[in-house]
Amino acid sequence: MDLFPLWLSLQVSGVATGLTLLVGVPVAWCLARRAFPGRGFVEGLVVLPLVLPPTVLGYYLLLVVGRPGPLGRLLGRLGIDVAFTWRAAVLAACVGSVALLIKSAQAGFEGVDRRLEQAARTLGRSEWSIFWTVTLPLAWRSVLAGAVLAFCRAMGEFGITLMVAGSIPGKTQTLALAIYDHAQANQMVEANALALIAVGVVAVMLFGVNRLGPPR
Amino acid sequence: MLSLSIRKRLPGFTLEVDWEADDPVVALFGPSGAGKSLTLQCLAGLVRPDGGRIMVNGRVFDDVAGGVHLPPQARRLGYVFQGYALFPHLTVAENVGFGLRDRARAERRRRTADVCERLGLAELAHRHPRELSGGQQQRVALGRALAPDPEVLLLDEPLSALDVPLRRQLRLELATLIRDWGKAVVLVTHDLAEACQLGDRLIVYDRGRVVQAAPTSEVLHRPASETVARLMGLRNIVRGTVAKATADRIELAWRGHTIEAVNSHVRPYLAPPGTAVAFCVRPEYVRLIRKDRTGPDPAHHMNLLSGTIVGELDQGTVWTLLFRLDAPGAPSQGTYDLEIEIPKLVYEMLDVARDRHWRVSVHRGALQVLPTA
Repeated sequence: MDLFPLWLSLQVSGVATGLTLLVGVPVAWCLARRAFPGRGFVEGLVVLPLVLPPTVLGYYLLLVVGRPGPLGRLLGRLGIDVAFTWRAAVLAACVGSVALLIKSAQAGFEGVDRRLEQAARTLGRSEWSIFWTVTLPLAWRSVLAGAVLAFCRAMGEFGITLMVAGSIPGKTQTLALAIYDHAQANQMVEANALALIAVGVVAVMLFGVNRLGPPR
Repeated sequence: MLSLSIRKRLPGFTLEVDWEADDPVVALFGPSGAGKSLTLQCLAGLVRPDGGRIMVNGRVFDDVAGGVHLPPQARRLGYVFQGYALFPHLTVAENVGFGLRDRARAERRRRTADVCERLGLAELAHRHPRELSGGQQQRVALGRALAPDPEVLLLDEPLSALDVPLRRQLRLELATLIRDWGKAVVLVTHDLAEACQLGDRLIVYDRGRVVQAAPTSEVLHRPASETVARLMGLRNIVRGTVAKATADRIELAWRGHTIEAVNSHVRPYLAPPGTAVAFCVRPEYVRLIRKDRTGPDPAHHMNLLSGTIVGELDQGTVWTLLFRLDAPGAPSQGTYDLEIEIPKLVYEMLDVARDRHWRVSVHRGALQVLPTA
């Protein structure tokens, strides 16, 4: 049986989770700790991918990164194709899952007693140092839990991926898409096997997160 | 030398204070929500005032008009938070050494060990805050604030997280510690005993303003106003009118009597006759006049009043009697006019339990006139 969709999904979800962390953690910290103009707008924007139909998201994403789109043209000039490549699958997974990470990390940062950060300030520590030595060490469980949720969500991403990356076997066909194709083609053994694998991966990840236990 | 003159507006609350102090321990005293902690946060740079200036030992921390706002990192003040705010993920030693980031590793280790040793924390250096008792946590918080050798130590309700018996013990410990380290201290507290025992100067706060700023003994014995007297927990605060005021005496008309008080030699109160005035009578200075002796001696018994005991409270070592004057009109404090405090021995010798009608005398020194601020 062809396990390419599994490896592709794991890679896409892994890269997507990494990117999501890079973007999502600073955003979550800003939402939890900073008052800035347009805060409500950003907060709404973050939730949008959770409530919009995936096909709508995929459609707009395609308009942006597709060959004729503004970003697509720019990247194309640099020799980077996005639409209908694995990169598009990563992008789709990021868009679909970043909200979960941001919400979880934001709740984690908000749960850190502000007075601990103030104490660190009176002790001469810079904001950067405070983030790494106080805020993050006290909120890392929530950040990690958010990352795991984001990873699982990325594994299951279907609609956006189908729109921007297509379902090209051996190229952009991820696990979720492969299961759909197998089921459509009445290849129930393959569909079944891949579905079980998907359940297994997600179950292991979630179990791992729960094992972290409550914060001290 | 601290000098602070700031304004800060929050929703539903405005802080507007102006005080100076050059004492070893300055206590900001007042009820919860009076703006004491907010003042401390402004002093530490955690909150930015809307207007005014803050100066500490000749350095300008804040000058709103001049656009100066020193960040908390640059102020070199040790802040002990209410509830201590220790870093739960770090050990005692890591907490104490947290403010020494900019020093060399060896120096950091030496200073941390030194501070832990002086505060009796050496044995606990590898514990986490949650494994410590309240008193130990307090010492860690103090150690963390003192380790970087701050210019001023700020203590926000340092004892309020503790149970009452422990609080008494730690108040003594804290007093010793403050003296030993020789740091200037600004202490915030709503506990009168704490303020008086630890503070050399009291800054009395009420609803975002300073109602009196003076050496502790002066606030205790010469409260500047009725508000201060109430905050200081003085009893028998009643209202009358001025009958006659001179530099050393002041006569008050109250409930159909004229009583005489000593006028303040620091700030004599010279209001024209007829001015409404509040005054307080210290309950332990009211004397019952014995009936088995000949008439009252005018040299010792001044301000004679007669009345009935309408209630009594057993306070353990003393009795508090609720005394209602034989005068028409409503009593000054609900059902009674004066609280009188007498030792249990006197209560028994005079058989106060059965005999309820008495003449009392109030020493003029026990009467305190409280000008309305």
